[in-house]
Amino acid sequence: MHVQREGSHLHSEINITPLVDVVLVLLIIFMVVVPIMLKGYDVSIPRSSAEVVPAQAEEPQVILGIVPASCHILGQPAGEGLPEDCRVTLAEHEIPVADLAARVSEILGGRPAERRVLFIAADDRLNYEGVLRIVDFAKSRVDDLKIEFITTD
Amino acid sequence: MRPVKPGRIQSAINVTPLVDVVLVLLIIFMVMAPQMHKGPDVDLPDTAKPREQGDERNRILVSIDEAGGLWIDDQPVAPESFGDRLRAAAGAEQPDIKVVIRGDARLRLGMVRQAMRAIEEAGFHGVGLIAKQPGAEAKGD
Repeated sequence: MHVQREGSHLHSEINITPLVDVVLVLLIIFMVVVPIMLKGYDVSIPRSSAEVVPAQAEEPQVILGIVPASCHILGQPAGEGLPEDCRVTLAEHEIPVADLAARVSEILGGRPAERRVLFIAADDRLNYEGVLRIVDFAKSRVDDLKIEFITTD
Repeated sequence: MRPVKPGRIQSAINVTPLVDVVLVLLIIFMVMAPQMHKGPDVDLPDTAKPREQGDERNRILVSIDEAGGLWIDDQPVAPESFGDRLRAAAGAEQPDIKVVIRGDARLRLGMVRQAMRAIEEAGFHGVGLIAKQPGAEAKGD
């Protein structure tokens, strides 16, 4: 082994090969993943054949009502986050939308997963994005919450 | 095997241009990734925590553009033939394929719900409403 003499100069370059490896792998991952990664919410509408759901006395259906009179989201909401000045009806109580997540988890969080269903009765005139943000917020503290859109008329 | 003379031949590949090109490609793909969707340009709603909806290739993409026009994958579809086209898109071999809706953020909820009902009537149960996280992309529209 040569120790530093004048002939064996120090190797001052960064070893770039592992960097190239990592970057190439990242590139391949991104190329493969490009068409993937849809994000969103699973929702459904009640089947017309099953519209008459047997009422369970101890577990009433929880309906989230959003109407333009108390929640003014007729246009696309500006910025991020929940619409302001919005009150919604959850299980027949009118609450500010900011309390929604806590109330939903209080009411539905204790139920078995297959019966955690939140029915959304939102007015057709409301803005889609505004409603979706409220749905997102309502789901945020309860896992596996099913969302069903019902008609208001 | 060090050559005797100090002016030896450098036998390593100069890897720097390769790294440059690969990094640029990587950045291009990272920027393009959220925008490479089939179908029309849709301004997806921003929401805080959308859940994974899986791979676009195993889904039927229904897009609803700003004007309320319906698209299946990259084809515009008339409302009357929507159900038939949807079943045709699913094909016989995959009747349980999931349908996702890419609805424009400026739409009224009623338009989306009409589409949901049409999808349900075509025999698919449940849809995914596609959203995006704020800041995930900056679409210049």
